[in-house]
Amino acid sequence: MARIEADDLRKVFRRPDKGPGLAGSLRHLVDRRYTEKAAVDGISLRVEAGEAVAYVGPNGAGKSTTVKLLTGILVPTSGEVRVNGIVPHRHRIENARNIGVVFGQRTSLWWDLPVRDSLELLRDMHGLGAAEYRTNLDRLVEMLGIGDILSSTARRLSLGQRMRADLAAALLHDPPIVYLDEPTIGLDIEVKDRLRAFLRQVVADGTTLLLTTHDLGDIEDVCSRLVIIDRGRIVHDGGLRQVIETYARERVMHADLATRPASLAGIATRLAGATVTEERDGLALAVAFDPLAHTAGDVLTAIQSEVDVVDLRIEEPAIEDVVRRMYAGQLATGPDAPPAS
Amino acid sequence: MRRNIWLYRRCLGAQLRATLEYEGDFWIMSVAALLTQGMGIVFLWAIFRTIPQINGWRFWDVVLIYSLVALTEGIAVLLAQGAWSMAVTVNLGGLDTVLVRPFSPLLQVLSSQIGMNGLGNLALGGSLFVAALRHAGTSWTPARIATAALVLACAPLVKIGLNVLTNCSAFWLKTPWSMFPFAFHTLGELARYPISIYGVVVRVILSVVLPYAFMSYFPATAVLSLGSAPWLGLLTPVAAAWCLVLGRWAFRRGLLRYESAGN
Repeated sequence: MARIEADDLRKVFRRPDKGPGLAGSLRHLVDRRYTEKAAVDGISLRVEAGEAVAYVGPNGAGKSTTVKLLTGILVPTSGEVRVNGIVPHRHRIENARNIGVVFGQRTSLWWDLPVRDSLELLRDMHGLGAAEYRTNLDRLVEMLGIGDILSSTARRLSLGQRMRADLAAALLHDPPIVYLDEPTIGLDIEVKDRLRAFLRQVVADGTTLLLTTHDLGDIEDVCSRLVIIDRGRIVHDGGLRQVIETYARERVMHADLATRPASLAGIATRLAGATVTEERDGLALAVAFDPLAHTAGDVLTAIQSEVDVVDLRIEEPAIEDVVRRMYAGQLATGPDAPPAS
Repeated sequence: MRRNIWLYRRCLGAQLRATLEYEGDFWIMSVAALLTQGMGIVFLWAIFRTIPQINGWRFWDVVLIYSLVALTEGIAVLLAQGAWSMAVTVNLGGLDTVLVRPFSPLLQVLSSQIGMNGLGNLALGGSLFVAALRHAGTSWTPARIATAALVLACAPLVKIGLNVLTNCSAFWLKTPWSMFPFAFHTLGELARYPISIYGVVVRVILSVVLPYAFMSYFPATAVLSLGSAPWLGLLTPVAAAWCLVLGRWAFRRGLLRYESAGN
């Protein structure tokens, strides 16, 4: 039996159909019109034990709504959902024992309580024994590095600290299924890396993970399967590497320069297929290239042989770009294809 | 059941600890509670100075009803103030985290706030209750003590149930304000006075439809053996059960249409 089973899941929201401005609002008082919008429109999904699924899509695609249906927060308009064999919205309390949830935008900690008190309340709600709690907490404290924030109230934590404390809260009862909604949003690189290492460990321990994110790095580091959703429907479900290699190949190297170069043509001729553009009024440049055609080292060598580089960074494509390209039909499928922009 | 009560106490205890972070709020709210209830008493006293009896009710009888309002309100505020947070919790999406914890969502919501100003209500209500009984010259038989204990225990549950019921409007009204349930709370204020002074419609509303009168008037008639049917006050437990069932029903209906917030 799959850990998560969803069949033809739909969730329709009814929104008041108001004209613009105050006049529109007043008119709605007497002439009530609504439009129905399917935020999730027939999603079927099976996730097995120990699988890590990245659930991605543009803003408003229905990612969070799906997570809220799978966690039992929302009641589906139609379709079936079972998590660990339980219908989540009918048996919320039983379901809650099997799952851990983190909403990146919202904390599940008690705002005015020290983190430790929040965790102890959750311990009691989950009915964990003293020994089990100690073991789990020690492990989480060590892996997440939150030993020094346990006595701070949630309101005093920085975003990165709060996110780690929230993860500890979600995983305290060692749930077989974990949902993370934008877990790395707004975090700096160091904290992100730490969280990803932690998530890899959790998955290696056999936990089923469903992760919604905008960050391609989260997906590459943690997940083996990628589900892309747009306008409430699944548009891709499969291996991750394949998608990235097909749709998200292009990298952009940005270099800050010491002096304005006379011409960028030299770089372009050294790198066949790459696009070189001027940035910051000539004091920087960007090279868009295909990593299968040129390594980052090649690109850097080509730039350095023409100009003096002060600083550089490499930009990876965001998942939004991938989805946008899938729709726009500008998919670069071979090394010779022109880079999409 | 025992687990639920224990967890409820745990949650309230946590709120108490959180509330103590803001000591100033506690004192201000307590003074506000005392002032609000105290002004009502001044008003009553002013009326009874000119009119010694209203519909057969003397000043101290009415003070007893009044004290029951303060007591039940005090307990409801102290133990289940979370009902008033529903407009915010439901419409700003805070219910999400509540729904993924393994403890009854309704009990979590109710225990999510502790109204320390309830202590002010309780202090005032308690003193008025004792004073009113003394002046009413009631003789204390065991039966009367049992009656008083029963109605005092159940009257707050009436208010808590009605608070849940009216605040569940948050699932239907999409504003984070509690205006609508507060309107009913204000309607319930009518039950501060002997409801026999109102017309039949108001009486039916206050005793059957939204039985606010069971938090004060009917219990008072039972304790004092006053009015035409003091036995009605013994129905307080029934009214309490009915209000709690209604509240729970509304909450469940609400959860079916809960839409969370954002995406």
